[in-house]
Amino acid sequence: MEKKLERLKKSIWVFHLNTGSCNGCDIEILDALTPYHDAERFGVKLVGSPRHADVLLLTGPITLESLPKVINAIEATPRPRIIVALGSCGSGGGIWHDTYSTIGGVNNLLKILKERGIEVDAVYYVPGCPIRPEALLYAIALVKGLVEKKAKSKVAVVE
Amino acid sequence: MNPVKKIVKPLEVLVIAGKTGKVTVKYPFEEPLVSPEFRGKIEIDPAKCIGCGACVNACPPNALEMIESEDKKTLRYFVGRCIFCWRCIDVCPVGAIKGTREFELATNDPMDLYDYIVHSKVVCEECKHPSSETARMLKYVWEKAPITENYNNKCPECRKKSFIKAVASRRAGPIGEKA
Ligand code: SF4
Ligand code: SF4
Ligand code: SF4
Repeated sequence: MEKKLERLKKSIWVFHLNTGSCNGCDIEILDALTPYHDAERFGVKLVGSPRHADVLLLTGPITLESLPKVINAIEATPRPRIIVALGSCGSGGGIWHDTYSTIGGVNNLLKILKERGIEVDAVYYVPGCPIRPEALLYAIALVKGLVEKKAKSKVAVVE
Repeated sequence: MNPVKKIVKPLEVLVIAGKTGKVTVKYPFEEPLVSPEFRGKIEIDPAKCIGCGACVNACPPNALEMIESEDKKTLRYFVGRCIFCWRCIDVCPVGAIKGTREFELATNDPMDLYDYIVHSKVVCEECKHPSSETARMLKYVWEKAPITENYNNKCPECRKKSFIKAVASRRAGPIGEKA
């Protein structure tokens, strides 16, 4: 598995998969692709079809309406496939996590994918509402192994 | 357009580009440009938190949750759902929550996104069951509004009962006696 992902580390081609986001995170993706932040420094290229993509940039909490299309897009992505769940919506459902019309983030999507036997090689979570363009650059650098992971769970027991 | 202009015109762009210089940032190989107003991840100080749950009520996406068990109260912070509104900071009565400018939170393990603070519940003096409060909550209330020994260290249910008993006995004599 690791070896397969190793192949991705040269240039990652991304497909922007909006699953019902408010467009905040989508604008920040575009921001990261502008000459100012310039994600192309890392070989990132926005492609028009999931069939050409290595990484799916998933924004939004996955509405029920978009779910079948999301599954189709993930199925169409060649292995090894990586999902980068962007924003609070993508990574945890955000403020929509328990509403009637969304499934509440990528974790519930992974359960559905597992039931259907669709494999995903790696999932990255990028919290933020909206994400900063730097947060996306950081996530891309993390996928490519250029930076250290900083996030760490803390457990404190008092009295 | 005459052929000379056709060649010179694109070259003008080079002049403009030369004047502007290079704007692309070097991030992640340099410090990011973060304004002082930027709101990032929150940090809860376990030494100060009293486990009251005010932040849980205020949090719009339920990123903060109070998980109750028989004798423990666990405050769970799920940064993957946090929208960085900092409402929790405004409502915390003891100022245990601090806002940071941290945004480099990307991870490939969802478990990295959870922080926990585990509180123990106090035991009610009357019924000997764990009350819904923590020792620090009782201390906080005691300092703000001293109440009699009778009511401190009791669970809300027993406190209610003894209060009703006290009121009733003042109005109509001790309970059980006919007036
Ligand atoms: S995380 Fe926030 S900005 Fe991004 S899509 Fe969701 S609501 Fe919009
Ligand atoms: S900053 Fe807002 S979303 Fe995040 S934990 Fe506090 S109240 Fe909840
Ligand atoms: S409001 Fe403050 S003291 Fe109360 S549970 Fe939240 S962090 Fe702890």
